[in-house]
Amino acid sequence: MKHKILLYILLALSSAVVGQTPNQLIMNVNSKFGKVQNYSALINMVFDIPGVTMQPVNGKVYYKKPNKFRIKSKGIAFVPKQNPYLAMANLSDSSSFVAVEAGREIVRGIQCRVINVIPNVQGDLVLGKFWVDPKGLLILKSQVTTKTNGTINLENYFSKNASQALPDKMIISIDVAKFKLPKALTVDINSKAKAKSKSDRGTGIIQMNFSNYLVNAKIDEKVFSEKLAN
Amino acid sequence: MNRLIKAELIKIATKPRSYIGFIAVAAIVLLIEFAMYADGKEYLSFITQALEQTFIIEGDFLNGNLVCFIILQTLIIQMPLMVALVTGDLISGEMANGTIRLLVTRPFSRNQILTAKIIAGSIYTFLLLLWLGIFALVFGLLIFGDGDLTVIKSDALVIIQSGDTLWRFLLAFGVAFISLTVVSSFSLLLSCLTDNSIGPIITTMAVIILFTIIGTLQVPVFENIKMFLFTTHMIVWRNLFDNPLDLELMYTSLGIMVLYIIGFTAASYIIFNKKDILN
Repeated sequence: MKHKILLYILLALSSAVVGQTPNQLIMNVNSKFGKVQNYSALINMVFDIPGVTMQPVNGKVYYKKPNKFRIKSKGIAFVPKQNPYLAMANLSDSSSFVAVEAGREIVRGIQCRVINVIPNVQGDLVLGKFWVDPKGLLILKSQVTTKTNGTINLENYFSKNASQALPDKMIISIDVAKFKLPKALTVDINSKAKAKSKSDRGTGIIQMNFSNYLVNAKIDEKVFSEKLAN
Repeated sequence: MNRLIKAELIKIATKPRSYIGFIAVAAIVLLIEFAMYADGKEYLSFITQALEQTFIIEGDFLNGNLVCFIILQTLIIQMPLMVALVTGDLISGEMANGTIRLLVTRPFSRNQILTAKIIAGSIYTFLLLLWLGIFALVFGLLIFGDGDLTVIKSDALVIIQSGDTLWRFLLAFGVAFISLTVVSSFSLLLSCLTDNSIGPIITTMAVIILFTIIGTLQVPVFENIKMFLFTTHMIVWRNLFDNPLDLELMYTSLGIMVLYIIGFTAASYIIFNKKDILN
């Protein structure tokens, strides 16, 4: 109870200080993106995952409201389990979350409001932290924690599709376990022993470059339900 | 010279042991392909389970390129033994049978005789690799289809796009040919030294096993001698599946293997020319 009172005091204080309350800001951001019912786009993915060496992969990305997201590539690609639009889908109803202002930060030269979002309802989303450009109503950076997939950091870069809140580049950082297998299994008999790293985990970075957006055109549902090869 | 080479090839073809390698390669490759067809997905899910905790893996790991790579990796120990089975018998077999006397009385120099045997041995090695290539790569692609190659290492995964694999496999077979030529020239040298056919074959096998064990042990005392063992360089074909390629390492290993081939072959010529044929 004490926490809730404290939260409401904080909310009241923050709304007094700035024009838009954190809740309003999040809702405005959401309504801007809400105009996009679905989209498809070409995607180029660049991977920097500990223990994985691979070339950039081209493919096609599909999104459908509220949170259907699928990347299809000709070759092998690693896509984060956590849907980058999960948080947005969870924040469509203003009564489903509490937003708290956590200060201001400059992200890539833009003064952003840092908003912490705590969901009211039981769901996969545990906590969201958003760096919002209040003028452009764009989320430039976010940190989303879910029950099933842990914490994921996203950085969005906008340019020509900013009016629809569609990024041209998205950088996803995620904590991953380092790849390790017994040599007997891999028949990697003569490989040299490498210096042991202190941690058995590292940060995987996936850069997604989007182009040729096709917004609000019909997308076949089958795209999302097709089984993955693996 | 062509007649001599042809005669040597006929000798190889008429020996039942020459077919052991072909049968063994076919059996091993088909066995691996069957196992991968039946349980490949399960085997691969064990390998990728750590990554699957965080990522959805789009695309298919199990394909002809991966199966071919696994086969090549598995056969790296066995292939030299199959080659030695034939090349280790080229001189010593004739000594044991007493046919060498007849051979050297023909109007050919000993150098020509040995050259014909080396060429015939190389043709045999090439055919064995071609056989492996057909079974591993061609059959692999026919059964499992094309796709990105996932090179599975103990501490890393290297993913090579499907369009970038064929030239690597062709070069890998080329490098494997040089590696097997080291073994065939070594067994031929041993064959020149003895009068029985089993000795060179067993000795070649023993040396390969010993060197491989030394190469595998991560003991500091062996670190300095590893680079002088030809078995260390025989696996250099694997580096063709790295990204980026370590060209310096590849050239060094290829250079050392060529030096071994020249050394073993030169020693074979000297010994064979000086050999007293008493039986």
